[in-house]
Amino acid sequence: MRPVYALGAGAHPWGKWPEKPQLQLALEAMSAALVDAGIVWAEVQGLVAASSRFEGGMGWGLHANEVVQAVAEQGIPCINVGGACAAGAIALQTAHALVASGQYDVVAALGAERMPKGFIPRPPGSADDRSDNDFLRWVAMGATNPAYWAIEARRRQHEHRTSERTLAQASALMRRNAGGNRLARYRDPISEEDVLASPMVADPLHLLQICPVSDGAAAVILGSEEFVRRSGKAAVRVAGCAVGSGQFGDPARRIPTISSTVREGVAHTSEVTGAVRAAFELAGIGPEDVDLLEMADNSAWHILAWPELFGFYEPGQGDWMLEQGKLAIGGELAINPSGGFLSFGEATTAQALLQVSEVLWQLRGEAHGHQVPDAKVGMTAVLGLGANGGSVILTR
Amino acid sequence: MGEAAERFVVEGLVEQTPAGPRLIGSRCGGCGTTYFPQKASCPNPACTDKAPVAALLPDQGTLYSYTVQRYQPPPLFRMDGWEPYLLGLVDMGEGLQVMGMLTGVKEQEVRIGMTLQLVTEPLYCDDDGTAVLTYKFTPAGTAL
Repeated sequence: MRPVYALGAGAHPWGKWPEKPQLQLALEAMSAALVDAGIVWAEVQGLVAASSRFEGGMGWGLHANEVVQAVAEQGIPCINVGGACAAGAIALQTAHALVASGQYDVVAALGAERMPKGFIPRPPGSADDRSDNDFLRWVAMGATNPAYWAIEARRRQHEHRTSERTLAQASALMRRNAGGNRLARYRDPISEEDVLASPMVADPLHLLQICPVSDGAAAVILGSEEFVRRSGKAAVRVAGCAVGSGQFGDPARRIPTISSTVREGVAHTSEVTGAVRAAFELAGIGPEDVDLLEMADNSAWHILAWPELFGFYEPGQGDWMLEQGKLAIGGELAINPSGGFLSFGEATTAQALLQVSEVLWQLRGEAHGHQVPDAKVGMTAVLGLGANGGSVILTR
Repeated sequence: MGEAAERFVVEGLVEQTPAGPRLIGSRCGGCGTTYFPQKASCPNPACTDKAPVAALLPDQGTLYSYTVQRYQPPPLFRMDGWEPYLLGLVDMGEGLQVMGMLTGVKEQEVRIGMTLQLVTEPLYCDDDGTAVLTYKFTPAGTAL
């Protein structure tokens, strides 16, 4: 594999955009990424898009084709990848492979999403019987996604004595980080009291401890060394990039299943921890080298638990790290300086590419208003339905 | 079941035995792993036989964790007289953990580690008057 660099990134701000079709969000994110990379469409040699199930893609998830047909019919390969909430990471992994192989010099990865309101509904096309977990969890017990995260959070309280206040502090930190990020949807500061006063959704998780859904789009352009040199921008390298799926025996309460078969010694959320481990190996670094981590905080519990699962510190230590301010911008390990899913709301297929965009800007020192001081190594981690995980490490 | 005008929310999840309801899972004839619900194959990568056969699970387990579903789920879920309810994750032994609603216990009385008994209860009545049942867990010793 030859070295691959992040040439540029672009994003449409997260929010609710009823006037803009999904394609429009995609085009704006791509335009911003091209400007950031200092190139034009004619130089893009391939496009990998995360396939959405909600809008666009001609009903077949052909989101890359839709984009080039709108803006640049130039014969380039259009690759559309599925991966649910991890689709953006799989798009980046694919774009990376296309450049690393030497076959192409400039390839873009794109995710754009407009989400329906409220709880994400069950997709069409599955049988109404016991073969479909997403049918069972609704009809047999009405288990919403937050209930799964709440069951994890409750168990953590049992094992590590995590307090309601610490769980609230996680949300407050995300909102504080988002305060300086123009791309985030929710930027007003919130206190721990605000979090605890918000309605209980699934005990112990309140409304402000659960990520809402949003519309948004992000694109990352990868390229060869020659292109990054030409751009005149800081050379930010994709040092590690990996995707993975779940391991047998994983104890995670995996949405939308109604049971787990647990085996001793198997990592929790193995699809993500596996991708993280593989990314570390490719980059030849470890947790101690990472300045910032952009990770999928679907709930406040994730902020506490995930870095522990990735080996940043011991199980249970996340509470102390958070309470001591070590996870804040300027702390030992800045977690989600962007503000995270809790401040963005999840635009499913776009989210992983927003994470990579954020890390790129952080490493260039361009994360105005929420900059991690002297960031040199940044990592992402994301989880998707079907036990999809992805992780990317950028270095400068 | 027939004359009582009741049915389960989904076929093939629960069997009514003379000794009470039991969940229907699978046990792999190759590696011995137990699954719930029944599986088409065996996802254990070390298993070469992939021979799951239907198996009844134990009717008791211990509570591993729980939450309260405070908001009414989307319409695929039906429940007469909806109100928030407890959802538990129950350790059934052999590493198998099963999610389900809890009944007959107040939130303040729920304790991780408590022994729970499998029961069935109606969730709602169909338009033709059929009681539609699901499985639930209740503190052991309180089930009828």
